[in-house]
Amino acid sequence: MEQKLSPDSAVTRPDDVPMLRASSISKHFDGVFAVRSADLTLRRGEIHALLGENGAGKSTLVKILTGVYAPDGGTVELDGTPVVFRDVIEAQRAGVVALYQELSIVPNLSVAENIMMGEKTPARAGFVDWGRLFSIAGSHLEVLNQRIPLRRLAQDLSPVQQTMVAVARALAVNARVLILDEPTASLTNLEIVDLFRTLRHLRDEGVAIVYVSHRLEEVFELCDRATIMRNGQVVAAEAVADLTIDLVISKMVGRHSDEIFPPRSRHDDEVIVEVTGLTGRRVRDVSLEVRRGEILGVGGLGGSGRSELLRLISGAQRAQAGVVKLSGKDVTPSSITHGLDAGIAMVPEERRSQGVILEQPIRENMILANLPSVSSAGLVRDARVRSLANRGMTDLQIHARGTGQKVGELSGGNQQKVVLAKFLARNPTFLLLDEPTRGIDVGTKSEIYVLIQRLAEAGAAVLVVSSELPELLGLCHRILLLHEGRLAGEVAAEHATEEQLLTYCYGRTA
Amino acid sequence: MTMDQRAKTTSAGPAAIVAAPPRAHQLDIGRILRLSGTGIGLILLIAIFGTLRPSVFLTVGNFVNILEQISILAIIAAVQTVVMVVGDLDMSVGSTASLGGALTAVLLMSGWSIPSAVLLALCVGAGIGAMNGALVAYVKLSAFIATLASMTSVTGLAFIVTNGANIFGFTKDFLPLGQGRFLGVPIPVYIASAVSLLIWALLRFTTIGRRWRAVGGNAEVARLSGIRVDRVRFIAFVIAGLGASLAGIMLVSRLASATAQAGDSQMMLSIAAVFLGMTMSSHGGANIGGTIVGVAILGVLTNGLNIVGVNTYVQQLLTGAIIVAAVALSRLGKNRR
Repeated sequence: MEQKLSPDSAVTRPDDVPMLRASSISKHFDGVFAVRSADLTLRRGEIHALLGENGAGKSTLVKILTGVYAPDGGTVELDGTPVVFRDVIEAQRAGVVALYQELSIVPNLSVAENIMMGEKTPARAGFVDWGRLFSIAGSHLEVLNQRIPLRRLAQDLSPVQQTMVAVARALAVNARVLILDEPTASLTNLEIVDLFRTLRHLRDEGVAIVYVSHRLEEVFELCDRATIMRNGQVVAAEAVADLTIDLVISKMVGRHSDEIFPPRSRHDDEVIVEVTGLTGRRVRDVSLEVRRGEILGVGGLGGSGRSELLRLISGAQRAQAGVVKLSGKDVTPSSITHGLDAGIAMVPEERRSQGVILEQPIRENMILANLPSVSSAGLVRDARVRSLANRGMTDLQIHARGTGQKVGELSGGNQQKVVLAKFLARNPTFLLLDEPTRGIDVGTKSEIYVLIQRLAEAGAAVLVVSSELPELLGLCHRILLLHEGRLAGEVAAEHATEEQLLTYCYGRTA
Repeated sequence: MTMDQRAKTTSAGPAAIVAAPPRAHQLDIGRILRLSGTGIGLILLIAIFGTLRPSVFLTVGNFVNILEQISILAIIAAVQTVVMVVGDLDMSVGSTASLGGALTAVLLMSGWSIPSAVLLALCVGAGIGAMNGALVAYVKLSAFIATLASMTSVTGLAFIVTNGANIFGFTKDFLPLGQGRFLGVPIPVYIASAVSLLIWALLRFTTIGRRWRAVGGNAEVARLSGIRVDRVRFIAFVIAGLGASLAGIMLVSRLASATAQAGDSQMMLSIAAVFLGMTMSSHGGANIGGTIVGVAILGVLTNGLNIVGVNTYVQQLLTGAIIVAAVALSRLGKNRR
């Protein structure tokens, strides 16, 4: 990449030179672009929102700025000087620091030790100089106006205190660019106020802050400017004052939801799935019915038990009580194996850790749930493996070099299709999907929706858990909402609104 | 999928400035070198010893010797491979071999017939494997801790069985198992080949083999795909115990004597051989072909250093260094970001 901007061609007043300017940044993983030709300019003393859907390329861009990934193309300038960070430490030395949720704290060390982690430990004659360590650490907390006991273990702190300690550590290494990834995810409203006060304070001190969040209200409250990404590209970079929430959403999504979802199909009246009184660790006495050809959505906040419900139905987790009936027959599974044999299949939540074996080929992954059908007398028949894998490749339109390619080399969307193919080969009568499109590009999302609907039309009952309300509204016939493990409400998707669903999610109407 | 198609799918927008570079489809010499490094190392070792002492090292007789010397390790390493494919580790294979051999020896001395003595020793080996498997798969201990503990206890058992004595003087009929030859080739070589082939076939052709690989690849993915992970891990340990005991029985026959710790050194060597072999697989997993090459390297090294006249202490030093060199070499260039 050429470097157009050299320091002397820039305007002489240092205030006009951006704190950080990333130009034409590109990064692809195995032929699929995660970030394409993206620009990001951070001014001294601003809070800059980085927005976009899951998979839009925000995290990849952040990781490039902090030296985790090397970009395939593009330049990064810090204070007008081109820089290349080979790792996180080099970025940190230059003052570019990212704080990730929960990853930034060592739980079994004290607050002071955590703050001083990035710095050389003060020492006298080879021994840690605790007095100085505590006083330096304390001074960084003071800048933040925080009173946290320095000797307390980080694991005993509240979430907001942990975040503050992480921020203090960034200050200890003289961070000039501070990147926060969803810092408010586990904070209460009061704590958020506290955090925002600190961030504004840092901004006034001249720190450039990148604020990555899905909570748009917060962005409008806190941020000065925003850069919006979609499909790896920057689609807008504007002052927040010139934006509205609706405008931001339309730029993030790029098209209306009715273009992503296939038209809703009709379903039978015949109930084929009956779940009664299902109870687990969180899930309490949940009963539901699914009809032939119906797509039933399950929503709820994180921790509401929505994923556990799927695990209980599929047999991945033993239920304490409850019955699962398929076409009137009690099939309450005691294990995944039982569930699969009865015709219940579950596509798990975490693709990379639960769905696919990354370093094994596509066909080896696809046969995992189908060993009985591709073997006889304990011997795996290669011809059956090939035909099963080829069928999966064509039916789900998986883009790969061949069935021998390692799944880890595929894009997230294609990996998800491999998981689907693995379970669809079992011809399940009841298909459970946990976050079926998380971290997948919009195009593949749409393909997966069509696929789910085709399965339903072919006579399967489908249950979809999703944290994305538009997905539930666009894809499902009916939506159940869970609140603290119990059913909090049921709505017909066609005329429901996100507000309505959220009301149930927060348990306001019981 | 061709390059063009791939570019099309990813360049929906007008600003496709950077084209997706070609996949590493062409001849990747670095990768080939990494994968075949261990094999090249073996050839290199043979070449070095062949040059230093061609008249002694490069003879048919010596190669048959080497094969005979590595047969017992080959069996233990083969079953260790199974456990390591599943993602576990068996530290007790050496002491199980010792106990299997010692038990056979004691039973023979007290008048048992060869088949019944061997059969009982094999059963005891499988039983130790089953105990390891139960501790790891069902009690959920880490394989390291479980097999370390059983290694200690099994060694104790072997001492109890032998009463700490060196046992010898068995019936001559027992000796061909470790010393005999058929068509000029030592019997242990046949047995080791059969065991290796069997393990290879299990891993390559059977459903249990696929299950082992799946559990080793990602146990949670395997479980959620309906594979009974516990049972699969359990079976791997049973096979390890059985194989170790068989190797121990052959060792006693070859040495015509038994002690409580005769097979102990095989444990470390078997793990080393599997690690050497892992460097030959593209995904860095345990594989039987690689393990056999690893066993061969260790065998050639010992044999060659003996012939050249290097003393055993220096031999140990060199063996460790070569294992580190081989594994380190294969890691080079693997950490790309």
